[in-house]
Amino acid sequence: MSDARAQILGAVRTALGPPREAAAIAAEAAALLETPELIRPRLPNRSLTDVFAERISAPKIGATVERVPRLADFPRAVDRYLRENGLPQAAALQPAPELLELDWAGIELHKGMAADQAAGIGIARWGVAETGSLVFHSGPDTPVLFNFLPLHSVIAIDVRQIVAHLEDYAAAAAGPPPRNANIITGASGTTDIEGSYVRGAHGPGFLHVVIIGDTPI
Amino acid sequence: MGEAGTADTFKANAKAALADRVLKVAIDRTTGTAETKRAAAVADFAEFDGARERSRRLKDHVIANLEHYLLQFESNARANGARVHWASTAEQACEIVVGICRDARARSVTRSKSMLGEEIGLPHALAEAGIERVETDLAEHIIQLAGERPSHIIWPAMHRTREQIAALFKAKHREPPRNDDPGAMVESARRELRDKFLGADVGIAGANFLVADTGATCTVTNEGNAELTATPPRVFIVTAGIEKLVPSTAHAMELLRVLVRSATGGELTQYTTFHCGPKRPGDADGPDEMHIVLVDNGRTRMLTNGLREMLRCIRCGACMNHCVVYRQIGGHAYGSVYPGPMGAVLTPVFEGLDKSRDLVHACTMNGRCAEVCPVMIPLPTLLRGWRDRSWREGLEPASVRSGIGVWRFLATRPRLYRLATRFGLPAMRLFSRRGWIRSMPLAGGWTEYRDMPAPPARSFMDQYRARRPNA
Repeated sequence: MSDARAQILGAVRTALGPPREAAAIAAEAAALLETPELIRPRLPNRSLTDVFAERISAPKIGATVERVPRLADFPRAVDRYLRENGLPQAAALQPAPELLELDWAGIELHKGMAADQAAGIGIARWGVAETGSLVFHSGPDTPVLFNFLPLHSVIAIDVRQIVAHLEDYAAAAAGPPPRNANIITGASGTTDIEGSYVRGAHGPGFLHVVIIGDTPI
Repeated sequence: MGEAGTADTFKANAKAALADRVLKVAIDRTTGTAETKRAAAVADFAEFDGARERSRRLKDHVIANLEHYLLQFESNARANGARVHWASTAEQACEIVVGICRDARARSVTRSKSMLGEEIGLPHALAEAGIERVETDLAEHIIQLAGERPSHIIWPAMHRTREQIAALFKAKHREPPRNDDPGAMVESARRELRDKFLGADVGIAGANFLVADTGATCTVTNEGNAELTATPPRVFIVTAGIEKLVPSTAHAMELLRVLVRSATGGELTQYTTFHCGPKRPGDADGPDEMHIVLVDNGRTRMLTNGLREMLRCIRCGACMNHCVVYRQIGGHAYGSVYPGPMGAVLTPVFEGLDKSRDLVHACTMNGRCAEVCPVMIPLPTLLRGWRDRSWREGLEPASVRSGIGVWRFLATRPRLYRLATRFGLPAMRLFSRRGWIRSMPLAGGWTEYRDMPAPPARSFMDQYRARRPNA
């Protein structure tokens, strides 16, 4: 359909004239990102970790959150979560090297993710305090479906990876983009029936976030 | 409920909708919640006005530099390994999508809700090609089971009550819900669609944004169905309007803040995903092919016909949730893919003004749509532009033309006008009882549905002259 391409670009050219210099357009685009404090919510005057944790457990997002000092404590947090929710001591583990080397004694680990998997364990690459979001970049050790198939999703996030705003994530992730960047904010939900909010539409119905590390002052 | 008519039977559609009491209940339940949630989200966001103004400038910047951003996006998307297709018309776009499905020997296709897909008639095109289409958004799943069209751009099934949906699921699901509790119904849909997600050959989605400097397409959903549509099948297709571009990921973030608050009152959708080409070497999952179809379908015409501001639209649905007309008649009465204020502006672009002139008149000009629009589209002004054009092109019926002609004759002759009101007011008062007129010759269009307040005995000008100090 190269005809359509020429037709569309031709119609745009006729309507708007030839494009300006790329540098002038880039300067205008950059100006549209200036003074971000005027166009985004101001965060409460607390540590980013506190703000992030509050957001995530706010009713609108409705995830649960806990904090442990070290990544080595993550398996015990998962173990506790499974017990408290009456789930079998089994889960699919995201094949991230830092998770694989932990001691998962007592939890039966699955490499693959079944369509009706009860629980999945993973680690997020970034957290965003403004929205209480977790960010994942797809890759060999980060399958996308791990965040969408299980009913319960238990995710670790390192405090040092929590950024303040959505733009801060965009800046931190600058460079060649991953195939999928998934920004996940709470469990799957829908308001499609009379506007009433129900969790567990297609993705996880429950999200438990384990924040790893001490809160920086 | 029945099947909706088309835009050129709007008056009959609206009459039928007004008579449907269940429909009114359904519309009130969802739009009421949407309005309350949006108001709360905006109240919590002191910088909302600044964010709206910035979003407006951002969209205007993109549209003013459309050629630059289209070419930049195309080149980056190709570098990511995606194939980029261009379609001038809806038919071309459908041909391209069906062609890709055929090349993939697709039997089953999953679809993540996309209004552009509806606009170009993709569901119909897939059916004609004999390809099984599985709608995965819960609301789209509901209307697919019911054999209906969407009635809202965010909540396509908002015309159906909980009770009606429960009955539908009980009739159509393999393991139907136990009751009409929304939770049980969502669970039932989850069960029903699970294996369809994983068994599809092709997944099709739209895009909320096309990011020029990365070549990524961005989807926002609350259910997670876009990712489940994009990831398991061998082939992933995105159809998107050419106005969806943003310069960079950071710019998309700015728009997300106003989009989500305006649509559902959330701060961010549960799942915001940037899709950048097919599966890469070593990737644990993902599609083998990604195709992006860039669709014009009237958009380049909007650059020159006075509708450029409409290209800012980010499809949040706030205008319809706050529209007094939409809230009485719902989306189907508009007889078009896009209902409500934004739909009344867009439909004449797709279907022609001669077939949709009633839509541009179905507006009280109260301005609420423009007040809540996150990208500050002057919707009432654009609707007036269509009315003006309808007049100039001679599309208004003779009764309207002669009525307005009589009024103009009087209004441009002040003495005559005052004389007419001096006689007219007492005549109107003859028909009033206790301050209200229940019926009166020539006023049936008004009094059939509501009473008219009786006018005062003397006109404003007469009263003004009587009260002027040095009169």
